[in-house]
Amino acid sequence: MSFVVATASMRYTPAELAAAARNAAGSGLRRAGDLTRLALLVALAALPEARRRQPTALFWQTTSGPRRETAHLLASMGSGDGEPLPYDFLATQPALAAVQIQPWLPGLAAASATPLDRTGEACWALLLADALAWTATRPGSQVLCAHLDAWGEHAEAHALLIAADPGEAPLARIAPVAASTLPLIADIPELPAILPAQVAAGNGCALAAPAGLTLALEFVRP
Amino acid sequence: MTRPVGIAATALVCAAGSTPAAVAATLWAGAPMAGYRSIGDRIFPFYALAGGGSWRDRAAGIFAEIASQLGPLPAGLPLFFASSSYQMGAFEAAPAPLNLPLASGAFIGDVAAWLGLSGPCRGFANACISGFSALAAARALIAAGWLDDALVVGCELPNAATPAGFAALELLSPDACRPFDARRNGLVLGEAVAAVRLTAAPARWCLAGIATGLDAYSPTSPDPTGGPLAAVAVDALEQAKIAVTDLDVVKLQAAGSPGADLAEANALRRLFPDTLPPLLSFKAAFGHTLGASGIAELAALLACLDAGCLPPTAGFAESDPEIGLSPTREGRLLTARRALLNVVGFGGGVAAAVVERSA
Repeated sequence: MSFVVATASMRYTPAELAAAARNAAGSGLRRAGDLTRLALLVALAALPEARRRQPTALFWQTTSGPRRETAHLLASMGSGDGEPLPYDFLATQPALAAVQIQPWLPGLAAASATPLDRTGEACWALLLADALAWTATRPGSQVLCAHLDAWGEHAEAHALLIAADPGEAPLARIAPVAASTLPLIADIPELPAILPAQVAAGNGCALAAPAGLTLALEFVRP
Repeated sequence: MTRPVGIAATALVCAAGSTPAAVAATLWAGAPMAGYRSIGDRIFPFYALAGGGSWRDRAAGIFAEIASQLGPLPAGLPLFFASSSYQMGAFEAAPAPLNLPLASGAFIGDVAAWLGLSGPCRGFANACISGFSALAAARALIAAGWLDDALVVGCELPNAATPAGFAALELLSPDACRPFDARRNGLVLGEAVAAVRLTAAPARWCLAGIATGLDAYSPTSPDPTGGPLAAVAVDALEQAKIAVTDLDVVKLQAAGSPGADLAEANALRRLFPDTLPPLLSFKAAFGHTLGASGIAELAALLACLDAGCLPPTAGFAESDPEIGLSPTREGRLLTARRALLNVVGFGGGVAAAVVERSA
């Protein structure tokens, strides 16, 4: 059995994101990309101090990817004559985010980044299925599932903290089911922002299975 | 619910051959020589695939070859896609001004279409461990009963940005890949596209365990003690319920990196208290294929084991006293039932998998 222990959602302008990252990490993320900054901020919002040393996996998805950094790299490579030195691009790669934020999350033990292939929707069902499989086979572990996007004019982060240990005040119990009669919740990036109210309002809600999968996920009051 | 996950089929196109069996035969006969590519004013060895035309046309042709090797696939088969560069080469070749697609993983849709798939797609971008991340996710869903089959694809196609990044960090060898060798001086990159079809149905090989983890020692090199890599190997072995003494072969990461090779050797010494099984690296046979490497090297290894032949490790000639371990020097006939595969990634990713031949 697993629980949604916490949720977090945030939205920033570029200036606000830089300031929030500075406040949280000092100069530690000075060269990191916006997605890494978002990962840290949403993790600190979702994980109370006492949970930051517990074995944690970070599974995150993104629609935007490192869009600004990719565009800058391509522009610089197109205009340069010598050997490209893409240090800034390297420093902002999704694969680096976990190592970059690990000093503030000492329990971070695994991470995976998932670029999404279409806009306007998310893939929480698969991300959460990964999280349930992870927590089921690793006692005492927790998984921070996040959706991170850094667009030109704004950046946003949404996260669910999943754990077998419910803590003091879990928001929902989460379980895979073959089919659910509960009202459906949309699989959109903002799901963590709307989930607590949907669970509290009635008997719970369900996230439909993507086509081809034989699971749905139910969120019910703990 | 938890159930075994089998490997129903593999496909591979790399510099050493255009099918897994062809790659195994090439390795047995002696690995191919790398070509070269320039980065700025410098020249580095590189294992390229054949073929010309536009980036997209070439990619489509390679995926057509992969589809041909796999045979007919159900249209709804879920696709798990791993790469460290996605379609960066296509972006680089496009005329300015470039309009990047809004979805950073849009290339996965192209790959699905080239393979004739219309089911759910999921991408992974975890640098060199991307392939094992994708395999681990697909395996977990099949083991839990949420999927019955999945296709896991690893793809690394040419672009200028990736080798430029490795060159800028001085991680590339100027002359050759020499896994675990005393003269090793860096990586040699390569292209590959590979696929593994996982299934809940019985199959000749089982993906008995797979684990990914984080080595936060440094973004560009693993903990020299080998502790994090050893830990994920233990995790994979525990999932597989296999003791290290039961392993018949280890497919090394061994990319010829001075620091990472030593870390891997130390990880192996932590794992194996006594005698080690034969050690094998493919990196000097078809290059370090980054996001594709986990799947490409799994496909190559299974082809070698199915042929009953353990090839020599290309590029290895002179033992390093500090490493103290030697990969295979000569080819040998071997009936292997269980193998461990190590992967170490840029950015701190580490991963290990255990495959077991079905009884």
